[in-house]
Amino acid sequence: MRLIKQTIQKKDGSGSATLLPEEPEDMWHAYNLIRANDLLRASAIRKIVKESAAGSRSVDRVHTNLTIRVTKLDFDTQASQLHVSGRVAEENKHVTLGSYHTLDLELQRNFTLEKAEGWDSVALDTLKESINQTAKAQLWAVIMQEGLANICLITEHQTILRHKVEVSLPKKRAGSSDHDKALQKFYQTTFDSLLRQIDLADPKPLLLASPGFTASSFQQYIKTQAASGANKQLHQLVPKITVAHSASAHLHSLSEVLSSSAVTSKLSDTKFARETQLMDRFFDLMRNDDARAWYGPKECEAAVERGAVGKGGGVLLISNALFRSQDINTRKRWVQLVDEVKDQGGEVRVLSSMHESGKRLEGLGEIAAILTYPIENLDEEVGDEHGGIDDLENDPDGSAVNGIEGRSEAHEDIEI
Amino acid sequence: MHRVKNIEYDDDDLYAEDEEADGEEEQAYTDEDRQNFDDLTPVVRAELNEAGLQASDREIEEALYYYYWDVVKSVVHLKNTRTSRPRQQQAKKEKAKSKFDQAAERSASKTGRSSSPPLPAAAWFDGIPWSTVPPELEGYLIPVDPPRARSKLLGGSSKLAKLAEERRKKAASSQTAQPVPDTRLSSLDRLSKPKDTKENVLPQHMKQEPKKYPIRKKRELTPPPKEPSPPPEEEPKEELPNLRASPTEFACTLSTPTSQAARASSMTLGDLFGSSTNEENTFKGPSPDDTILRAQQHSKDNAKATKQSANGIAKKTEALKLDQTPSPATPTQPKIKSKGLDVPKLWVDGKAKRKPAAAFVVIGHVDHGKSTLMGRLLLDTGAVSQRDIDKYKKQATELGKASFALAWVMDTGSEERERGVTVDIAQHHFSTNKVDFTILDAPGHRDFVPNMIGGASMADLAVLVVDANQLESGMKGQTREHILLAKACGLKRIVVAVNKLDSSSPPWEEATFKNVKDEVTKLLTATGFATEDIAFVPCSGLNGQNVVKPVPSNGETGWVASSSSTLLQELERSASGNIAEATIKASLRMQIADVFRGGITNPLSVSGRIAAGNVQVGDSVVIQPSGETAAVRGIEANSDGVEWAVASQLCTLHLTDIEPQHLRAGDVLCGASKPVPVVKSFVLQIQALESILPQGVDVHVGRLHASGSIAALITTLDTQGELLKKKPRVIKAGQRANVNVTLSDGGAPLEVGDRVILRANGSTVAAGKVERTGS
Repeated sequence: MRLIKQTIQKKDGSGSATLLPEEPEDMWHAYNLIRANDLLRASAIRKIVKESAAGSRSVDRVHTNLTIRVTKLDFDTQASQLHVSGRVAEENKHVTLGSYHTLDLELQRNFTLEKAEGWDSVALDTLKESINQTAKAQLWAVIMQEGLANICLITEHQTILRHKVEVSLPKKRAGSSDHDKALQKFYQTTFDSLLRQIDLADPKPLLLASPGFTASSFQQYIKTQAASGANKQLHQLVPKITVAHSASAHLHSLSEVLSSSAVTSKLSDTKFARETQLMDRFFDLMRNDDARAWYGPKECEAAVERGAVGKGGGVLLISNALFRSQDINTRKRWVQLVDEVKDQGGEVRVLSSMHESGKRLEGLGEIAAILTYPIENLDEEVGDEHGGIDDLENDPDGSAVNGIEGRSEAHEDIEI
Repeated sequence: MHRVKNIEYDDDDLYAEDEEADGEEEQAYTDEDRQNFDDLTPVVRAELNEAGLQASDREIEEALYYYYWDVVKSVVHLKNTRTSRPRQQQAKKEKAKSKFDQAAERSASKTGRSSSPPLPAAAWFDGIPWSTVPPELEGYLIPVDPPRARSKLLGGSSKLAKLAEERRKKAASSQTAQPVPDTRLSSLDRLSKPKDTKENVLPQHMKQEPKKYPIRKKRELTPPPKEPSPPPEEEPKEELPNLRASPTEFACTLSTPTSQAARASSMTLGDLFGSSTNEENTFKGPSPDDTILRAQQHSKDNAKATKQSANGIAKKTEALKLDQTPSPATPTQPKIKSKGLDVPKLWVDGKAKRKPAAAFVVIGHVDHGKSTLMGRLLLDTGAVSQRDIDKYKKQATELGKASFALAWVMDTGSEERERGVTVDIAQHHFSTNKVDFTILDAPGHRDFVPNMIGGASMADLAVLVVDANQLESGMKGQTREHILLAKACGLKRIVVAVNKLDSSSPPWEEATFKNVKDEVTKLLTATGFATEDIAFVPCSGLNGQNVVKPVPSNGETGWVASSSSTLLQELERSASGNIAEATIKASLRMQIADVFRGGITNPLSVSGRIAAGNVQVGDSVVIQPSGETAAVRGIEANSDGVEWAVASQLCTLHLTDIEPQHLRAGDVLCGASKPVPVVKSFVLQIQALESILPQGVDVHVGRLHASGSIAALITTLDTQGELLKKKPRVIKAGQRANVNVTLSDGGAPLEVGDRVILRANGSTVAAGKVERTGS
């Protein structure tokens, strides 16, 4: 994303920023930037129904710039599209004040964002991160086992499951080649699905991971296809393949794959590497029942209150899903927590809920902290109450987190 | 133009129409014409007077007009009309007058009506193109003929008409007698004469005509179509009997195809149409076969049968008849009839005769010789011939893996043979005099632990193979994990085969065996195996010492012969084959271990171990989570077809009436009456093997390998199951706890008491039983 213009006041965070999204990943950033109640100005296509005095109706589609007060966000991970619903906040000749509109943010089209309660530190960090123009790592991963393959696109901030291949393979059986045949067919299916997803003209690194030999057999299969087939572009893909080990084909095994040295050497994404490292450290501390590691909103807040997440190794790991809360007060609560940790000199890591480390954090209640000194029985002090994030916990797929909610009733819907 | 109309008036008998034209014509005489009339009429009259004939001014004028003021011609004409055919001329004159004279017209109309029935004829031809051609158009053709030609034609046409009439009479003597007097005929002919001239246009139209009136096709061409005489309605009535009569049944059967074709071509359209409608009727309703099929399909739907028309009645009855016969037969026909056996009773009755059966899973660390030991066992019990082993040996030597030859009995997969590693469970059956055994050879590699879990869940007892020389690697690796998993899968009895004692240094050293025995016993008891359920057998799989054949009681293996029995003996001793009758009477539960094509006759088969209940051929079963039903078409146990199978048996079920996509390894096949519920989340009481946090895990239930996560840590418990702490922040290794597990995609068929194993990052983190199930 490119920052075209900004008028943000350091003092109170007022002002607006004009941004130009350039690639699908930017939509993800926009999704994390735009909040309910913010003012968003973007180009829109609006259907205008005119009724003449004689009663004949004519429908015109008008390109216009609309400013809306955001009420709802809808992010489509598969298509990387962001739909922002809201009420028109600035009248123009086509649209009346207060009428509903859903803006579809488009690539290569500016949008201007003004924060309702000003730009807070988290929003500014997100903005900084999103306009970071350094080379972005992108990686395709096929994580597989016999009969199951998950094809994912791993970007700096997201891990997107693009395709799942599931084939029922007959088990080995003396005197029958059904298993081998089915296995070849499974490779074929996976390979075809993969080719549909990736852009061969500009091949990204491809990571194949599996338990046993499935991944290497599949790599061999791709090589054979490249050697025998007419598809010249496949040859460019072959040297970009890395084979790694994973415990299973399930997506949560990806964290193991991504933290393996075979992958980290290929991924230039230092941010992600650091996050994974911190998550691993946190889990290690937990396993050792070290009282320096705590997770859960109440516990972390209590720890921060005591100044335990400060200078000298204090780390707060927080998922950006928490900042996407529709409730302003909830959001403010987390922003304050983040600010406080920063004030204390601790490290704050906002993890992408769409990324592997963020997914691991999700199970812990979206927030975890590594303290500078051990606090025993922190959980007992904060009481049994685990509230505050129950709504998130109840959603293992993170669908609510991703904001995939029903579209608003189409009062005056927009043309797509 | 006027003349045309006049003549035409003669031709056409539609007086009413002509009246209009009359007025026009009167006006149409120009001044010039009148001048001519004035000049020439006296001349003509003088001429006629000379000949002693009288003529009115009008007649003269008319004649003059017709002959373009040619006096001579007019006179000749008038003379002719008056002398040769005075009567006809009279009629004509009358008609001609009618145009101009109201009185004359009335009389003419009367005569016209009485002499011929023109209107009915016109009505009859109504709708046929040539009859509706407007009179003005018809008339155009006439004026070309000069008046002299006309007189000639008059005669000619009458001859033709006579000829035609004669022919007609000859052809159809039975036809309505045409009592047309000669005079009248001729007059009629004259009237219709211009039509004759027009006839050259008509043949095309005429061709349509014969189609309606069969047989007369060719003849109809000649007679003037306007012939009023034959009342058209009668014609088909009279003709039809002729038609029907001509192709007799006999003729039909005799006639060759060509003659038939000729007949068809000579047939008029009406005939063709008639016959074709008959044919259509034959095929209008569904063919008898269709009817039968339909009747079979919708045996109750009689509505369709009633739809059939007239000659379909017979078919209807046929359909109804068929309705009744196949409908009771159809449901039973494709299905396999259940014999309704009382399986538990049969099982109890046959108990005394039956050999006990046992399935054992062979577990242990990778490369400790599990597959080779099993190959040896099978070879020495005679389940595999030496010839096969020799073949494998030859092939293995080619790959440079001669020592794997025995393992190839179990490792049938091409990848397994190439890499020398067991990947998946191999199942093999063999019998001794005392027991029927099924070997489940598990893979030892850590990546294939999920497969090992699948195998262990199907077994009655475990055979742990430990390499006497590699104890340490196993204790850290899969020897340990497999023991834990075997216990977690509910196996009670374990036989430890201390393998590769022949290659220890020195070979067959008792101390080595003792050491291994102590170490493994420690681990087993720690895991929860009772000491009386553990047996140790020193052996060598590769050479076959103390596997089936006892070792010589002298020399280095003397201690073995004296202190322990062979592996086979130990296995026979361990096989109990005891199963509670209640389990057999319970509702059917069988986890599908494999879905495969059982052969040409059995395109869809599943194999697995019946966990509870019984099944017999013809039973209807439900597959969960798909919820689809299937019929059991056949049962195989130990490669033999059987009528029924009960809990604890490993069998293959051949299924029908289900699509293969509804069957996956890990699904549960259950009795239709009480299927296993499909759950998305459940509370699991676990024994933690590693520290547990809320995290993503692989959920293993036998062959089922699903993705899930520990959503919440509920409580930690002490060994007595008493509550230690609510909502612990972490569950430490070795602790017992209740956790909430959620499955990621879809649900899994799970019941309270099912054994679940949780793995993460390639190692087993917890094992336990389902405490209660959620949604």
